[in-house]
Amino acid sequence: MSVSPDPDVSTRDATGAHASAGGRPPAPPRTGVSRGELAMTVLLGVLGVYLLLDAANIAIPGSSNTIGPRFFPYLIGGVVLATALALGFRVLRGDRGPADESEDVDPDAPTSWVAVGTIAAAFLGQALLINVVGWPLAVTLMFAVVAWSLGARGVVRPLLAGGVLAVVVWIVFVKGLGVALPGGVLLELATSWF
Amino acid sequence: MSRQPVVVVGHVPTPRGRAALEHGVEEAHRRGARLVVVNSSRGDALVDEEYLQGDPLRRLQDELTVSGLPFELRRPIGRDVAEELADAVSETGADLLVIGLRRRSAVGKLLMGSAAQRILLTVECPILTVKGPPRPT
Amino acid sequence: MGALSDLLGGFADALTPVNLLFALLGVVLGTAVGVLPGIGPAMTVALLLPVTYTLEPTTAFIMFAGIYYGGMYGGSTTSILLNTPGESSSIMTALEGNLMAKSGRGAAALATAAIGSFVAGTIATLLLALVAPVVVDLAIGITPADYFALAVLAFVAVATVLGASPLRGLASLGVGLYLGLVGTDVLTGQERFTVGVPQLSDGIDVVVVAVGLFAVGETLYVASRLRRGPVEVMAASGSYLTRADLRRSWKPWLRGTALGFPLGALPAGGAEIPTFLSYAAERKLTKHPEEFGRGAIEGVAGPEAANNAAAAGVLVPLLTLGLPTSATAAIILAAFQGYGIQPGPTLLSTESSLVWTLIASLLIGNFMLLVLNLPLAGVWVKLLRIPRPYLYAGILLFASLGCYAVNADPLDLVLLLVIGLLGFAMRRYGWPVAPAVIGLILGPVAETNLRRALAISSGDLGVLVDTWFSRIVLALAVLALVLPVVLRAVRGRRATPEELQAGEGLRHRETVGAPPADEEER
Repeated sequence: MSVSPDPDVSTRDATGAHASAGGRPPAPPRTGVSRGELAMTVLLGVLGVYLLLDAANIAIPGSSNTIGPRFFPYLIGGVVLATALALGFRVLRGDRGPADESEDVDPDAPTSWVAVGTIAAAFLGQALLINVVGWPLAVTLMFAVVAWSLGARGVVRPLLAGGVLAVVVWIVFVKGLGVALPGGVLLELATSWF
Repeated sequence: MSRQPVVVVGHVPTPRGRAALEHGVEEAHRRGARLVVVNSSRGDALVDEEYLQGDPLRRLQDELTVSGLPFELRRPIGRDVAEELADAVSETGADLLVIGLRRRSAVGKLLMGSAAQRILLTVECPILTVKGPPRPT
Repeated sequence: MGALSDLLGGFADALTPVNLLFALLGVVLGTAVGVLPGIGPAMTVALLLPVTYTLEPTTAFIMFAGIYYGGMYGGSTTSILLNTPGESSSIMTALEGNLMAKSGRGAAALATAAIGSFVAGTIATLLLALVAPVVVDLAIGITPADYFALAVLAFVAVATVLGASPLRGLASLGVGLYLGLVGTDVLTGQERFTVGVPQLSDGIDVVVVAVGLFAVGETLYVASRLRRGPVEVMAASGSYLTRADLRRSWKPWLRGTALGFPLGALPAGGAEIPTFLSYAAERKLTKHPEEFGRGAIEGVAGPEAANNAAAAGVLVPLLTLGLPTSATAAIILAAFQGYGIQPGPTLLSTESSLVWTLIASLLIGNFMLLVLNLPLAGVWVKLLRIPRPYLYAGILLFASLGCYAVNADPLDLVLLLVIGLLGFAMRRYGWPVAPAVIGLILGPVAETNLRRALAISSGDLGVLVDTWFSRIVLALAVLALVLPVVLRAVRGRRATPEELQAGEGLRHRETVGAPPADEEER
């Protein structure tokens, strides 16, 4: 049977799962000024102004005749502000950045702010819970919430997978490598004989 | 003219999927039925070797064409195989569903769940479960 | 022959059971993260920084070096079998490699990639051993002003030459430089930009920034545009290298090495440009031009050799000048600083045994990678069956581990999330992440040298262009800043890999500012 690299006849069906060639899927040509791009540029400009203004508040100790701790911040503030101005000019003329490509990213999908928000909230919750319930339990909960928001099914499996991974990682890094991570009351009692 | 019967096959490119396909083809011939082959993927990983693409897909299409049966190949993505099969069965009003079985240990069943069990519980038509290819007639 | 005996001494130290074990661990981890989407070597090394401070520096660096080299091999496997290059340096490999796999020659493509990587990695690492002492001799007379000029060149090159949008590269660099300023000024003890938060007076930890930008930022970005459905995996079918394949491969391997090592060693380094050039060269020199675009083995052999040689080349400025030119190199520099070692011209004399053991273990790790990758490519692909929800949840779990381990302070995790959101926004709007990491790590070093230079000259800015060396380097930096803008205005944007494959060479398209909307069906 002769095998030749003929065009794919069926990988682009209604399922929407297309094989990405070279990691550069075709992006639909978009035009107009993007609000997000503009917001990023404005934030950059604000950073530049902040650097320039706050650099003036850095105390210069003693009577040194060489440049002190202000010079480099002024330099960076200037560069950042100039970049923001140039970028703002381009963005206003309709220039768009090439969105990052990744194997697991569908470039044509609309942005799911719900998923971003859920994951950010789960991570924040975990950060606040660590010192209360211990790292393994806190990250298990985060793991499950993140997995659910990315489409995992079931209640038991994400919790179980997160829990097993968290406990194994905790034992390896805390008991094996001496990293400081609060284990929570139960786990620390159970492993105190190590 | 009465409605043509329909046989639905759950297919994966493994020995058990192969067995299900062969039984399905045989049953469809016997009943003079239309064959609906379902090969689905949860689509939640970058790699799913049980989802047909490229050359193996073309070979399956060729094979079904050669069988002479009226056939349809469905390749849905995104849901559990049990839901996809149940959908295909109710939508086509199928007379028979053929699936291949694999052995699972008790622990494996606990962790992964049993797709066959979910299919048996959800699907509304008679189901033929097979473990190997049909005996040569 | 000083280098040779030093290298033999390095082998003696590298061949201890513990060091071999960590070299193996490093290459296994490196290959795994090279194969897996969403994680790369830079992030892995950053995550492991805080947890490795209990290890000997030599052992830790042997592992990091293994991760660094391993990531290159893992990327080529997915490029060939899945057509999903994990890193920009593997894009050219995917072009011909995936077509070879589609036409039933996957095994040969994997073999020429792995052996080419091994050959190039070995030659380039030996060149590193030979060149490093020479560069150190040249660099010993380098002034703080010269060093500042070099840092400026590295900043500009990383920001403008590598990315698709020079201005966004500069923006990212600026953010990194700002993050590097936060904290207490080393020379005067004054707090800068700490907004009154006491935890910030020690500065923002490199681990928090790197893990935030890479791990958390990537996870949020993937979550925002999650792809559903699997990609097609090619079988590694056919025979490994036939004699004809070998005859067609060895010259591209050597040419790729010759392109990759020097370009990787330049301050405007990185592995992407050498792979581009290597592909273009092989396309021009091949005796089988009809095969390009259908799976030509030269198109795999050359770029793969180039990217591994460039990886070794990047270590030259890192070890001899303390100048990182890629994100991974920047994080390895931060690791050196964490151990209280400042890479630079004196490193080879003060930490001689560390450096030579590192180089020896690079050679050993390279050999391990050949053994691990050639027969086991199919096994590595199995890693990709991990469902995305679990993969990214796991990445966040490790991000939490690495960051919390720095100071055992939950505030670091909040900061990590904030920087992660920044990383998400940067990805979404096409700001490259690497310049921020390099700005963060190299910025403070650049500032110290600038102020040292100006202290010597009593504040006279003329000192910055006092030597010919600094004049030339600064001129190159200005060129790197202006050239992309001029080129864009005159000739349109840079050719994409697909255009290169279609034989348009390095000519530039005439569309100015249009987003790449390439037809990729072949």
